[in-house]
Amino acid sequence: MSIFNMLLRNVVKSSVFPFAMKERRKNGLFLTCFYKPFLHRTLNLSPYLKDVEPNPPQKLDLDEWKNIMRAEQQKEICEPTSKCEEDSALTAMREFVEMRRLAGKLIPKNITEEELKTLMELTTKSSKLKYLKFLAIRERKRNARNTKKEERREQRKELLGEVENRDADDLRNSFLVGFRAKSLDNLHNWRAAYAMIFGQPLVFDMVFENCMSVIELQNAVKQIMESEGYNRKSVDPFHLHFCNLSVDGLYMKEFRRSYGKTWDNLLVTETEHCYTKLFPRDRLIYLTPESRNIMKTFEHNKVYIIGSLVDKGGQKGASLAEAKRLNLATARLPLDLYLRWNIGGKNLTLDQMIRILITLKDTGDWKKALQFVPRRKHGGFCGN
Amino acid sequence: MAFFLQASYWGLQTFLGRRFLFQPASTCQKSLVLMVDLLSRDRVKGLPFTTSSQSALPQKLKGVHMLHKSRSRSRDGRKVKMQDSCREEEKSLIHPFFAGAAKQRSEIQRTPTAIRLLRLSRRHDIQPPEKPLNAKEWQELRTQLKLCTDFEIVMLRQMVKHKSSIDVAKSLMADVVLRNGDVRYNLLIAYLTLCLQQGQTAEFFDIYDIIKLKFKTLETGGYGVLIRGLSGTERWREAILLLKEMKKFTVPSKGCYGHCIKAALNNQDIQLALELYHEMLAKNIMPNLDVPQAFFDSSKGTQDDKLKKELLSMLLCFRENQVYPNEALMQSIKQWFESIPGEKWTGRLTSVENGCACPVCNQVLETIELNEKEYNILKEKIMKDVMMQGSNTFRTTTPQELKRFQDFVKSRLPYDIVIDGLNVANSVKKLNKYKVLFDVISYFAQQNLRLLVLSRKHLMKGFQTWNGNAVTALQRKVDFFFTANVSQDDPFLLYATLHSGNHCKFVTRDLLRDHKACFTETSIRHLFFKWQRGHQLILSPLVSHKIIFMPILNFNTVVQTTGDTWHIPYDDQLVERYSYEVPRKWLCLQRK
Repeated sequence: MSIFNMLLRNVVKSSVFPFAMKERRKNGLFLTCFYKPFLHRTLNLSPYLKDVEPNPPQKLDLDEWKNIMRAEQQKEICEPTSKCEEDSALTAMREFVEMRRLAGKLIPKNITEEELKTLMELTTKSSKLKYLKFLAIRERKRNARNTKKEERREQRKELLGEVENRDADDLRNSFLVGFRAKSLDNLHNWRAAYAMIFGQPLVFDMVFENCMSVIELQNAVKQIMESEGYNRKSVDPFHLHFCNLSVDGLYMKEFRRSYGKTWDNLLVTETEHCYTKLFPRDRLIYLTPESRNIMKTFEHNKVYIIGSLVDKGGQKGASLAEAKRLNLATARLPLDLYLRWNIGGKNLTLDQMIRILITLKDTGDWKKALQFVPRRKHGGFCGN
Repeated sequence: MAFFLQASYWGLQTFLGRRFLFQPASTCQKSLVLMVDLLSRDRVKGLPFTTSSQSALPQKLKGVHMLHKSRSRSRDGRKVKMQDSCREEEKSLIHPFFAGAAKQRSEIQRTPTAIRLLRLSRRHDIQPPEKPLNAKEWQELRTQLKLCTDFEIVMLRQMVKHKSSIDVAKSLMADVVLRNGDVRYNLLIAYLTLCLQQGQTAEFFDIYDIIKLKFKTLETGGYGVLIRGLSGTERWREAILLLKEMKKFTVPSKGCYGHCIKAALNNQDIQLALELYHEMLAKNIMPNLDVPQAFFDSSKGTQDDKLKKELLSMLLCFRENQVYPNEALMQSIKQWFESIPGEKWTGRLTSVENGCACPVCNQVLETIELNEKEYNILKEKIMKDVMMQGSNTFRTTTPQELKRFQDFVKSRLPYDIVIDGLNVANSVKKLNKYKVLFDVISYFAQQNLRLLVLSRKHLMKGFQTWNGNAVTALQRKVDFFFTANVSQDDPFLLYATLHSGNHCKFVTRDLLRDHKACFTETSIRHLFFKWQRGHQLILSPLVSHKIIFMPILNFNTVVQTTGDTWHIPYDDQLVERYSYEVPRKWLCLQRK
């Protein structure tokens, strides 16, 4: 009898156990908890042994898992888990973030004390969740970039190894010394310096720094950096003016932060003055999408003004108001004339604007220039 | 001849070629359709029971065909209906600020091109199994669906959606525990949601106890589910404890508060319920309508004067925030009033179309006119928020223009009617816009009213060239003011109307929602809306040959009382009310 009992127990165990063992990830602790309930179950079976066939159809035990959870829980609780008490609000926030991670939401893996404090300062729930999502996405991007960098480094190492393996003494016959990035930079700077003397002025109006949120301001600075770079690299650059740039304003702070030391060597004119003081009024044209006048041709003797304003809603008519205030001529790009507009605002980013203007200046061809309008916004050129 | 032959041969060849070209094209099309079909089927690969492509294809094509047919038919139908409505339904037009008007407008104006495409999401079509599965079968399903990362959570959500039996979910959880030795938090919460849906209270408590052991604090979603589950049971006190815990790191949502309040009311702890309610209002959270309903339901036949006062103040709170009860809440309010012992209230439902008295009790409803204090506040705010946009006058106009306009208005006597010229001119599409404007102006001019017509300069140019003589004749009687083409004309309209005094009306079809949004405070928005309802004349849209205006409302649609009567507007269940509309139905309560 007892032998038979043992045998059956083994059968039951072997029929279910391997399954569970196969993909088990947690060790030690789990094993003991798991084992106990099954022992219990086989004992239960023993009085009815005679009735049960040697190979019973497996019946599912639906409530077993709760016991496992409870048993495990009690063990964990026995372990000392008390931590030193920190600032209670901060810990509450940290715990909240932790639990949100467990709930499967987008949460950054590492969150610093500073970020937690900014999180606490946010007033509404939705703004908190948005900030957390932003942090998570930023972290994910950063990680992806880092892994890519690692890969590239590895590849470079391999390449270098190959080059070294090749014959090192084999000197090539070349009529130029290797062309370096530095020389290209020199060329660009030379052109920019030339533009500072003879080039056509292009004004970025920095008067909107108080209309924007922090994020919008950062985006605006990024766009200005991008447009400055594109301008420098073009064949015939504009002479850029950053007007209305107050010395200790938000824009200046952000510029210094993102440009670093380069800011002082930048080949652009930055002034606190308004463009109306620098140029005669009749040469100025304010470019704004809300203008009623359509820009027909690019004029080489005019000074175009671009309002450096990133508008994520709520700033309707700000740049037009500025032009009206100074009583300037305004113009907008002929987007509707040349493009079949689909979706999105007619306000373009600053770098798109400068690309369009530079192409116009070089070629005068609207079709070429308007290729810099994002493709998602329009369905091709009219008449094609 | 030879040339001819050649040419004809060439023609034949091209013809044949075309034929040949045609044939592959059609097959190509077919294969394209097939490909698309396969692609779309690929998207729902998770479906265990899909029909074969041969049977699926023709069905789909037929479906498309049917769609075309039904669409064209409906288009014709609408045309017929519109003509009918032009003739017959002139009187059945709803006032633009009454509930359902926006819906009616959109029905009339809807273009037939808007087809809604059904989007099939990949996860939407997973059919959860019908019986509990064992570990092996779950493994099979998992490999079959290829969603290894969050297979369990997707499956649980589908179970909630398809309302499958709790045993299936149990078997899934058992499988997870036996595999990993642990369950993730979000899985437990999803399982709890399923328990809640199925009404498995015992199971819910089991999991709740486990969660309590396992986690010290939870996040908002988890608290929400737990509070919802616990508030309906005898362990409702714990829900209130959870609510307290929640307040440590965030402001609980109105749903959480609502469940706790309802739980307290169900268990006759009215004191606690009131406390929570006031706390909620103090945090500036407007409760859902079922919370007041629970209050009214639970305190039927009460003798408690304090409670009665609370409930009446709840109604006054509706009045302040322009909240309108829905039909269920209205019924509760009615029954509560009728159940008050000692006071014989009778409640009846009615609708006040126009006129100023309630048809049931002949009680005059509150007038829509603002009192002097409110009027002055509104006048100031219009100037500050709409006209000047805070500090930047250039957004709407220029200071010179504003000055010119202010001087102009000051020098004239107060007006009776201010007309938005551009809006009126463009209000009837089929007619000449100058003719429409001319008709409207002369319609008012004949009644000897003082008129001001506001417009932009470009309209005036066309107007004078259209019929110079008639216009100059008009100009003697009527004042015109023209703003620059880049300025906004609506703020001028509002300014002129408000400064003329309380009797002045304005004519535009614009609902002025963007100007209402310029106000920073909600109370001012309510004031503006009240004033707008009382002073806006709207050209009736369907009648093109006659000038008919929508009647101006002369009563205020808001919860109101005179002590012996209560009049409460409520939302009809069948009518969709937009946020800038007011309900048409009323509950009239009267004490005898």
